[in-house]
Amino acid sequence: MTRLELENIQGYLIRGYAHMLYSRFVYLQISDAKAAKKWLSQSWKEMTSARHIHDKSKIPPTHLNIAFTHAGLGKLGLNEENLGAFSREFRQGMVSDHRTRLLGDFGTSRPEVWNWGGPRNETIHLCLMVFGNDKSSNDDLEKDKIVCLDYYNELAAKFDENGFIELFHIDGKTQPDNKEHFGFRDGVSQPIIEGSGRVGDKDDVIKAGEFLFGYKNEFGVYPDTPLIVKEQGDLNLLTPDAGGSGQKDIGKDGTFMVMRQLDQDVNKFWGYLNEKTKNPDGSINEAESLKLGAKFMGRWQSGAPVTLFPDADPGPFSDVNDFGYAKFDKDGLKCPFGSHLRRTNPRDNVDDHGKKESLKLSKQHRIIRRARLYGEIYEGSPTKTTPNGDVGLLFICFNADISRQFEFLQYTWANLPKNKELYNDPDPIIGVKETPELGEEQNFTIQDEPVSKTIKDLPRVITVKGGAYFFFPSINVLRYLSTI
Amino acid sequence: MKQNSTTILVPVIPEKVQDLLDQLVEIKRNSQEGISKEFDSLSIIHYARWVVIDHGKSWIDDEQKRNPKLLFVIDYDGEEGEMLHKVSENSSTILDLVYVFCENYPPLNTVTTASRKAYLESHVIKDAAVYIGAPGRSVLQIRKEKKLRDFIRDFVDSRTWEDVSPETVHKKIKDQVLSNPEFAYLKGERVRMPRINYFGVVLLGVCLLALLPFILVLVLIVHFFYERKDENFTKKRSQLDDEFLTDLEKYEDFKNQNQFTQLVDMKEGTIRLIAIKFMFLLSNFLIKFIFTQGKLMGIPTIHFAKWVMFEKNSRVLFFSNFDGSWQQYLGDFIDNSGWGLTGIFSNTKVFPKTNFLITGGAYKEEYFLAWSRNSELVTNFWYTAYPDLSIKNVNNNTRIRVQLMKTLSKRRAAKFLKLL
Repeated sequence: MTRLELENIQGYLIRGYAHMLYSRFVYLQISDAKAAKKWLSQSWKEMTSARHIHDKSKIPPTHLNIAFTHAGLGKLGLNEENLGAFSREFRQGMVSDHRTRLLGDFGTSRPEVWNWGGPRNETIHLCLMVFGNDKSSNDDLEKDKIVCLDYYNELAAKFDENGFIELFHIDGKTQPDNKEHFGFRDGVSQPIIEGSGRVGDKDDVIKAGEFLFGYKNEFGVYPDTPLIVKEQGDLNLLTPDAGGSGQKDIGKDGTFMVMRQLDQDVNKFWGYLNEKTKNPDGSINEAESLKLGAKFMGRWQSGAPVTLFPDADPGPFSDVNDFGYAKFDKDGLKCPFGSHLRRTNPRDNVDDHGKKESLKLSKQHRIIRRARLYGEIYEGSPTKTTPNGDVGLLFICFNADISRQFEFLQYTWANLPKNKELYNDPDPIIGVKETPELGEEQNFTIQDEPVSKTIKDLPRVITVKGGAYFFFPSINVLRYLSTI
Repeated sequence: MKQNSTTILVPVIPEKVQDLLDQLVEIKRNSQEGISKEFDSLSIIHYARWVVIDHGKSWIDDEQKRNPKLLFVIDYDGEEGEMLHKVSENSSTILDLVYVFCENYPPLNTVTTASRKAYLESHVIKDAAVYIGAPGRSVLQIRKEKKLRDFIRDFVDSRTWEDVSPETVHKKIKDQVLSNPEFAYLKGERVRMPRINYFGVVLLGVCLLALLPFILVLVLIVHFFYERKDENFTKKRSQLDDEFLTDLEKYEDFKNQNQFTQLVDMKEGTIRLIAIKFMFLLSNFLIKFIFTQGKLMGIPTIHFAKWVMFEKNSRVLFFSNFDGSWQQYLGDFIDNSGWGLTGIFSNTKVFPKTNFLITGGAYKEEYFLAWSRNSELVTNFWYTAYPDLSIKNVNNNTRIRVQLMKTLSKRRAAKFLKLL
């Protein structure tokens, strides 16, 4: 089996830094490439790697990772030919006419009105990810915040001198039980990269090439890694292409990072569920509303999968993840075919394929998710529907093939209403159109006996506020980039 | 009613090719998000497309000097002659707009339905293999069955069915449907879902077994005398031409359906011709016997697809009308149908490296995806009759109709209700 070079891989890919409740994502422009490279020539050592630290007390209180946009690599000095070696999705970025259609970014989610990453916003060159944890306390967001921001201030004091201009930042928070603003436990199921030293269910173990360049993927071939086309910089720092082309590989041990800021309309989400499940007298039926919410999501708020707990939330929080749909719920009677969870990771039940084939197909479309919350920490529920100010998710995911992984999930499995045998059912959480076409229905079908039920007129409950595709290089490649 | 497919290839007046392309862009601009609606009123055309080929934009290193041509591909109900007559009569405006730029089209001041039809007929080229995702379903039937399903769904959603037995639900639905005069046709027309022809499958198996020694010899000859000399496709997606991809993407992913047109050149040699002809023959049998229920080699998203060989078998065209995004989906087909795709396309020039005709090739995912995109052509005009239905929907709607009209046991009624 492949063993990964963990010291060379930036840590956020392999670990979620879940104990670091506070983080700041800082979006920068490079104003002085020379100064930025000088900074990089020292600070590549400072980047948190994926190296496993057995003794928890030795884990440092702060973590730092870095990712570049295509424009950022250009500004740093990577020449045209080498910039052209990256995948088309990364080169174009998240915004193009075609990509906007695929991702469904229309109406108030259209890139023209984004806060960042859109055509009317300033060009982002890189993102610094700063994390903090107060080692003396346990799960204390406020204390972690102090550690995180102290570290950030230390870095920010030198932005100017190091040739950076801060455009803006987003503060990301994590709840100890990892609940998001609709009130559901998030990020329970994560792929395990083969060779990363992590253990888990074999169905979650995915070939390294799905998440890292330089390794074979689920098809048994090497992913489309950026190779050096025209020599520049200290090429001795790069390894040769594992694919055997003889070229140097700038992608090795790196990957792509997708970031999307998703505003969550908690009021609309629970308001809709409450309305659809209300008692005859018009009052809220809390249990039914929660249940419909769980059907939408595929898990109860505790994180317990509805596939295994169809009737009620076993609470208070659950990490149960060892289940398949073919085995427990072939007909969708527990977890509807259209639920967010089931369609974005259909596990052993893709279309009408057999279990083995389904698992194989599912594995070709996995992503590693690293979402953080922004805005007030708020746990929505049928009776708690109005947070103060804007709240949402800074959605982050890692994948080596943006087209076959992130974009496939968003378009083919979430936005297209034809999943399985469905007719008009987009993903109820992330796939609903704000303005459907004339005569177009947007429904959620609940498989049931004797016959399924239709929940009609789904509202769009998220608004995209910004987004970008980043290259998340290896630590060696960061060092290389300082030499170009 | 039987569905058929016709391919018409006409030479474009070389100096008019830009005018033709501009005209097609103009037609596209007036269409709904890349899907033209010109053929809606005919109610017999499922899909149609115009593709200009050989106008200098070749991405497969085609060195030969060629004259521009216009492809017209139509998937339709009934007989070719009748369809061409209807198109020539009812869609004459658009035909004239397009074909005025083509060689030997009747002058516009004298053109008639008959002369349009004769012109198109005289340029028909033969299809090598045709796949139909819902054999037997006419456009009208597909539209009627969609209405039926929507009606049933509305009725089912109009009340609760708690504690009602499946047979009763089935019966109540049936009563409700049949009391509506719009669905009176159900009592007269009997339809059934196409079945798998097991006798044919066995027969085909026996034939293949009998032919096995010859097939093995063929495969060995291909491997030792041909494949080793092949020029292989070794580009990755990141290395494809950006501008060309932007051209392709311009007309993709507006609705749930998309089109795909591909043109490749045959490798030289009789053996290659025999190999591809054999693969098409095999495909035709498999399509007839097994792939009758909405899946082509396990691919559950194709409405109509076909292969065409032309110019003395020196070139191969592939057309597909399908649900979802080709680029995103293609990888998912490799597992089930990689051998078939490889078996066919390994006989065409600059394909990812193959071994023994059916291995390698498509299984080299990155190169295969890049190859597929690289050999694609811009489809200049595209028509789809029912962009809001997936092929699974189309087949499911027929199943609903068939089961609705039967008297069902409890178990089968429960199964029927799952289709809704």
